[in-house]
Amino acid sequence: MTVIAAPRTTSSLTRGLLPVLVTGAVLALVPLRYGESRVMMGIAVAGVLFAAYAIAFNIIFGSTGQLFLCVGALAGIGGYTSVILSDQFGLPMLVTIGAGTALAGLFGASFSWIAVRRSLDTIFVGIVTLAFSLAFEQFILGQRDFTGGETGLRVGTGGDTFLREQVPPYYLFVGLLVVYLIIYLLLHRSHLGWAFRALRDDEEAAELAGVNVTRYRIYAGVIGSAMIGLAGALFAHVEGFIGPSTYSFGSVDIRVLVILAFGGIGTLLGPIVGAATFTVLDELLAGLTQLRVVIYGALIVAIFLGFKRGAIATVASWWRRE
Amino acid sequence: MKAVLFDGLVLGLQYGLLGVGLTLVYGLGGILNLAHGQMAVVAAISAALAMNAGMPAVPAVLLGLLVGGLIGLLLDSTVMRPVYKERGESRVLLSLLLTIGIGFVIDGLLVWQFPIATLRLNIGGGPISIFGVPMRAGSLVATAVALIAAGLLVAFFRYSVTGRAVRSVIQDEEGARLVGVNPAAVRTLIFSLSGVLAGLVAVTRSMTAPIGVTAGISFTILALIVAVIGGLGSVAGSFLAGMILGVINTISSFYIGTYITTIVLLTAAAVTILIRPSGLLGQRE
Repeated sequence: MTVIAAPRTTSSLTRGLLPVLVTGAVLALVPLRYGESRVMMGIAVAGVLFAAYAIAFNIIFGSTGQLFLCVGALAGIGGYTSVILSDQFGLPMLVTIGAGTALAGLFGASFSWIAVRRSLDTIFVGIVTLAFSLAFEQFILGQRDFTGGETGLRVGTGGDTFLREQVPPYYLFVGLLVVYLIIYLLLHRSHLGWAFRALRDDEEAAELAGVNVTRYRIYAGVIGSAMIGLAGALFAHVEGFIGPSTYSFGSVDIRVLVILAFGGIGTLLGPIVGAATFTVLDELLAGLTQLRVVIYGALIVAIFLGFKRGAIATVASWWRRE
Repeated sequence: MKAVLFDGLVLGLQYGLLGVGLTLVYGLGGILNLAHGQMAVVAAISAALAMNAGMPAVPAVLLGLLVGGLIGLLLDSTVMRPVYKERGESRVLLSLLLTIGIGFVIDGLLVWQFPIATLRLNIGGGPISIFGVPMRAGSLVATAVALIAAGLLVAFFRYSVTGRAVRSVIQDEEGARLVGVNPAAVRTLIFSLSGVLAGLVAVTRSMTAPIGVTAGISFTILALIVAVIGGLGSVAGSFLAGMILGVINTISSFYIGTYITTIVLLTAAAVTILIRPSGLLGQRE
């Protein structure tokens, strides 16, 4: 597939760790400049959250070519499960976050399992998961007693902890992001990464060479989906409010797709570059609220027509040409 | 019960017309057009604007359909050009991502320029009784238009030279090229036709319920469900799936409730893919 950039095959884990740590350090400096402003820290948390979603989606789509158009729904499964279990059933927050994460992972596993079993094309995986996303949105709107329907839910649990302070939640998310980047690295530097690459390059050849296609697709599906669920659940407790639009297809999946496409599908730092770019862009376009949708749409078109391999890969190829 | 069934079949015809365009565009060029519903909305809003400017209903509607067709033509001849250079799965993927973007652009522009525009075609007259079922004049006209359009489409694909050329390209692009059919021209024709048909659905829908500027996404999703269940690339399958879904939709929203209905429709699409990925009448590869 031409959309995906070729990854480097040889380099040790320690060499890969350096950019991860630098990224973490740079992101950790943000509160020095904007720590005074509650609004700016909220924007920063959302930016890191989307970078985390994009890394997880990158593991599922970039590494194994499964087009999960249900990032928002998976995050919502994590978020709603955790909030409902802790606020309405009184379970401890850490337990419910774990439950939400596990449930999201379970859904991801079943999508992967079904897709492999029925040997569905990328497009059909996309349509099935898209249908799931929309059904999930309807379900949330319909189950008013638990989810609050259209009005959403005020999240009680976590209200009296550091999660609702101004700066600490940001560090929590930066920490999460660094962990996610390390997971991505570990997956790609282990024999799992070797299998991923073989799968992506030529599924049939990989299978003939002894790669268990089913198992690796499902691994990626479970790990990626659980990561999305965890990020969604944590965000619910930090934000203090969740509603249908927190996790809707229109507000999450489209953005994740744009972020990853811009940053570069199948690259380590692509999700960070993409999320940072679009967070800044959002602020620049703040005065043009009405035209923002148009500009986003036009950007999607421009990115996929012009930078099919992502910004990093494109810039890298200019570099090499010099 | 009879009335519910009848309503379902009418709705099903419209679903079928909505799905046909999407399914043909996919069958011909491997393009999954996720801006399909936005073409319908632009057509409907154009008709509404023309009527507001004093144009009588029939020419205004025709103008709307023309606009729908022009958008299809425009998409095919600009943004889709590079997509046709890709092959196989990456072509479908690229078309899907690009048309998501185009749908956003159209949605955003419509909300920005005409935030409160809606199309509502009121067709006067009291209820008329057909086979003992009282019907509003509006849904009768909508039914007639949908029936005629569906009939014309079927006749076009069965009997006209152009219609047969279209089918030949769907079946075997290389073969069609060898006997002198130009696949690119056929694609352009069908892309424009899908815009006209989408516009037609929006216009007939507006005879029973108003169409607002943000209805595009729901039209696209409906078209996608219909096309998937009917089998991507199959005209007859699209109508069959449309009818089935139309009846399911009215029965389910009449007896259970609207929010469950959407879930039922989406589940039907997902289950179809899982049981029979080629759809009801799609061809197995």
